[in-house]
Amino acid sequence: MNRIIAVHSYKGGTGKTLLSVNLAATLAKHGKKVGLFDLDFRAPSLFAILKVPNTEYWLNDYLNGTCDINKVLVDLSPRIQGKNNFFVCLANPATEAIRDMSAKDRKWEMRALGRLLSLRNTLLNDKAFDYLIFDTSPGLQYSSINAIVAADFVVVATTGDRSDVDGTSRMLRELYNLFEKKTGLVLNKVLDSSSKSKKDEMHRKVKDVYQVPLLGLVPCFCEVLRAEGNFIFAQDKPDHPFTKILDEMAKRIENNEVS
Amino acid sequence: MTKEEILGKKPLQLLEKIKENLERLNEKMEVMIELQKHGKKDTQPIQDASLDVMTLLSMPDHLRKTAMTICRCGRATAEEIAQQTNRARAVESAYLNQLVIMGYLKKERKGRKAYFYADRESQGEK
Repeated sequence: MNRIIAVHSYKGGTGKTLLSVNLAATLAKHGKKVGLFDLDFRAPSLFAILKVPNTEYWLNDYLNGTCDINKVLVDLSPRIQGKNNFFVCLANPATEAIRDMSAKDRKWEMRALGRLLSLRNTLLNDKAFDYLIFDTSPGLQYSSINAIVAADFVVVATTGDRSDVDGTSRMLRELYNLFEKKTGLVLNKVLDSSSKSKKDEMHRKVKDVYQVPLLGLVPCFCEVLRAEGNFIFAQDKPDHPFTKILDEMAKRIENNEVS
Repeated sequence: MTKEEILGKKPLQLLEKIKENLERLNEKMEVMIELQKHGKKDTQPIQDASLDVMTLLSMPDHLRKTAMTICRCGRATAEEIAQQTNRARAVESAYLNQLVIMGYLKKERKGRKAYFYADRESQGEK
């Protein structure tokens, strides 16, 4: 079962956070108990997107070993009209906290990996969470690789941009493969995917280039951009095609069709 | 052991003792073979090398598999690791001992079993 999912990409701006938030919200709407984690300590964003007031404990504190994970979990179930099933753990957006996180040494990172790995016991086994979604920083860096190692499955967000295609292929070969991680590719910001034949062509192309299963194709939606990250799209626009695509993705993950 | 001591013990206990000693001997030999294979003469453990993800990435594939499994399990015997990696116990035992010598893992004996683990917490703060 793929219960811990890391959302990662080579380049920034590929839509990791948008995918993480909406995938987590969609799984929660399907009745699953979901924890969404902001592991992008260089540029924390869930704090702003989800507008969580008065955060006292951050994921930084948990990884530093100064508090329990239960103190970091914020219950946002009412946002998706759920009950006790949608939680977030936020990264501290203060400049000082970002600086502190970027100055950690190898031994700290090793302990942080241990703490991420132990979430399987504390949250999945003891607290009956169904899914943990890790939103990460782009590229090869400690916090992201820790998240990948701790995960069962990596959702790789990519766009059609040349620089992104090369880097993503390399990461698939030299990062996820070395850790024997299952991956699913999400091709984001796709132009012109209206017809079935175009979609099939895209699927073939992705399989040829990356040689990994395609988890989803997300067209470029102006409405998503226009929302400016002000709300959880899949929650607030239930009839939008974007929401339907996320719905399909979540179902494929739930039915274990991605491995 | 004196002759009286040997005669005083039950044969089964004696055999178990011999088996235990043989297992220890076997493990030591596996380490020696591994070290010879990789042309390393220095058997002094490197003090507290950290088993972080970048280190994992730079390891040879055969050791990474073992190290990753130990990371997931926390603390395990060669037998337990072998069950997860689908490799022979003796092979895992050799790799684990090599990781101990490289300073990435710690080894602890409890009775007849040897447990391996990555010592995350005891290494100085930050």
